[in-house]
Amino acid sequence: MTESQVYLLNSHTNETVEASLFDEVTDDHLALWDTSWAPLMRAHRTNLPLSDTPEDSHWNWKHKANSWRSLLGYQSFALVCEGELQGLMLTNDITSARLLDQFGKPIVYVQFVATAPWNRPELQDPPKYRGVGRTFILAAIQTSLDIGYKGRLGLHSLPKAEGFYRDKCGFTILGPDSSHQNLTYCEMTETQAENFRRNH
Amino acid sequence: MKLEYPKEWFERSAEIEGIAEVGAGVPPTHSTTEPHTTERITAFDTRIAFGQFVSLWRRNNGWNPEKLANEAGIDTEEVLEIEHDPHCEPEADAVYKLASIFGVPSGKMMELAGLTKSHTPHLREEAIRFAASSEPIAELSDVERQALEAFVGALTN
Repeated sequence: MTESQVYLLNSHTNETVEASLFDEVTDDHLALWDTSWAPLMRAHRTNLPLSDTPEDSHWNWKHKANSWRSLLGYQSFALVCEGELQGLMLTNDITSARLLDQFGKPIVYVQFVATAPWNRPELQDPPKYRGVGRTFILAAIQTSLDIGYKGRLGLHSLPKAEGFYRDKCGFTILGPDSSHQNLTYCEMTETQAENFRRNH
Repeated sequence: MKLEYPKEWFERSAEIEGIAEVGAGVPPTHSTTEPHTTERITAFDTRIAFGQFVSLWRRNNGWNPEKLANEAGIDTEEVLEIEHDPHCEPEADAVYKLASIFGVPSGKMMELAGLTKSHTPHLREEAIRFAASSEPIAELSDVERQALEAFVGALTN
């Protein structure tokens, strides 16, 4: 497991704070999820109408972790800041590109990204930390580069996150995918990945 | 994978990100078999019955959750979640193991747990009837026992 030093912006103090990105979700991370995320998600699930409930509020990461740990080609990531788990990501490298100009080439597919409830604008205003999403995308790009996929990525965006992937990360939007609950499929080319790394 | 970028990169990145929803994807076990909204509600209905069924079967055999978990080879926490949280999607592996312990067809248990699309006629109606007639009390009553046996019959036929 490798730990990278990264930084997030604490919106409450307006200070940049150190954080750690791990390229493996460990039992310690899952314990943090269990004691901090899970109770808040349960509370939101109880208090919010079904339509406003976060889609992943019922996911049990401890159980899911056992599923993906046994899968070849999958890599999990955890972002920890100030002693709290700020986000989780799972990628795989067994998916092919759909965009015409890179069709069939291997990509790193972001299976999912989720941030802690206190970092979600729909659950906390303002969210506590900024930068979690782009840090994960940077990690996915780096993973893609490391295995020779030249930064190519793909993912299915949750409905409220399409703007983030299109406008703030530079993905190409390919539209709703009926094989994935009509989530919007987004893809990043080698050039787009390079632009992202330059913070354009 | 190692990220080696300066602090300034992340400061600029946080500025670009702003306040944004960033969620993507579904966990691997959901994947392309994730039901749509109406099906999810149906799964929720039958999962209530699934939890009640597990609870009543366990109590009918005088087992506590830990004993059932040990016999099935799954986590005690998972037994408790199945019994008490219909929002929580159980692992397919756990459902197969429980079906084996209960001696009922795993396919129908998977349908009941909302992990596969229901192909069994009236399963949802049977499940709701069972759930409605088997509200848990301290000890298993005759009514509950009859409901449990009737439901086992419905699953096995």
